[in-house]
Amino acid sequence: MRKFFPVEELARDERFTQITMRQSEADPRTVLLAEPTGKRPKTNRLTPDRPDASEAARSLMHGIFVGEIQALEGAGRTCFDFETGSGDAPDTVPFALKLDMARQAWDEARHVEISVKLSDWMGSEIGQFAENTVLFEVACSNDPVLRLAGVNRALEGLAIDVFTTMKEFGDMAGDPYLEFCEDWMLADEVTHVKMGSDWLRRVTENDPERRKNALEFQSVVDKIFSFGGTRSDSNESPIGLARRFRELAGFTNTEVQEIADVSLKALEERKAFSAASLNDGDTEHSETGTGTEQLADA
Amino acid sequence: MSVTVTPEAFRFVQFDSGTVTRVAQELIAALGIDRPVHIEIDETTPLGRVRATIGAADGDAIAISVESGAFEDSRRPRQQSEAATAVSLGRILLRVRDRLHGGFGEAPADDDLELRQMAAWETYCAGRLARLGLHVNQQRWLYNFRNRHGFTDTADAGFHQLWAADGLTWGEVDAISTAATVRS
Repeated sequence: MRKFFPVEELARDERFTQITMRQSEADPRTVLLAEPTGKRPKTNRLTPDRPDASEAARSLMHGIFVGEIQALEGAGRTCFDFETGSGDAPDTVPFALKLDMARQAWDEARHVEISVKLSDWMGSEIGQFAENTVLFEVACSNDPVLRLAGVNRALEGLAIDVFTTMKEFGDMAGDPYLEFCEDWMLADEVTHVKMGSDWLRRVTENDPERRKNALEFQSVVDKIFSFGGTRSDSNESPIGLARRFRELAGFTNTEVQEIADVSLKALEERKAFSAASLNDGDTEHSETGTGTEQLADA
Repeated sequence: MSVTVTPEAFRFVQFDSGTVTRVAQELIAALGIDRPVHIEIDETTPLGRVRATIGAADGDAIAISVESGAFEDSRRPRQQSEAATAVSLGRILLRVRDRLHGGFGEAPADDDLELRQMAAWETYCAGRLARLGLHVNQQRWLYNFRNRHGFTDTADAGFHQLWAADGLTWGEVDAISTAATVRS
């Protein structure tokens, strides 16, 4: 079986349409800029009292669904791509780490099934929204430690934020299925982050340079996963930073604050890009036929 | 009746004003609307709000303002979806027709509608569009109705009553919505 599978060749049927992060970021339209009339809301947080709440929740739920597929693929690849060994070198991983990745793949497969049923419940069809493939892209590193940083800590950390937002949405809307399912999946994500943190620490115990590189990679991924400020502490972001659950997952206060800072920076950069695009009306630099991230629409 | 669309060319999205015009003309004919319609698309936002003003500009025209997300193909961002264009225009044109044809005189202005009232009216519109042959996902509208009326059997009964109805007055729509919010 092939190792180190490229993102362009992920198995999807004709229902799916994939876009890259670059294509997503090329969309100059935004909900973040205030109009002179002040008509746009002061908060973009995803709550049931938003007029577009149902549509935004459906879009985010589909984003969760494709994210779970890519997380399943990432964990599965890490089980298979590397030989079993001490993990001291980037071409091997300990057998126990593979077992944890296998358990995670099992969890993610269950999450995919739950997400499909929730999407049915909310009136969405499989593939109804574009699939951003950036989540799997961070799972393509040749160094398993970078995968732990990118997938288990950054991607699964994002999942904690998203599931917390959706769980609270279900609670406020009185939707028992949404609240219950998101709560159960959230518990798994906390475990996945913890596994990544523990293994990253153990595998790099005698290699501080490798650990430093992994944490720097995670910081880059955390900024990408802020999706231009779609996730941050600011009320302008639809998804908040779930500080309490991140603490339970093993993030230190300093690490959480770093993620908060990088997310706010992404938000400000996104607003500046949109303002510049709207002011000069120049979209020729954008790629034709590319699009906005559906999470951003929320 | 005449249909005009602005802008004629788009910079931020790949929409076709000709397609919007054709879809609108087909809907106006199907719904029996006898007034000129002007559609203005805001391509600077991906949101999907649609608003209408009756009696704009020259006296009896219908002015519709649309945010680009309402006509967008969610599978292919920034591309136009003819199905989404038809359903979005169909919903607002039905609400306009309701207001014009009587029985909706006491309905609040769109901006003053409560979320549950808007969900009820949208359900009433979506059901009629489905019977006209447009592709409408009933579960999507049921989920929206539940978000505004509760996840209860009572709410579901109200939804199905509105979905199957024709010829309702605003008072009847609002009464069904009010009854649907009662917890069973």
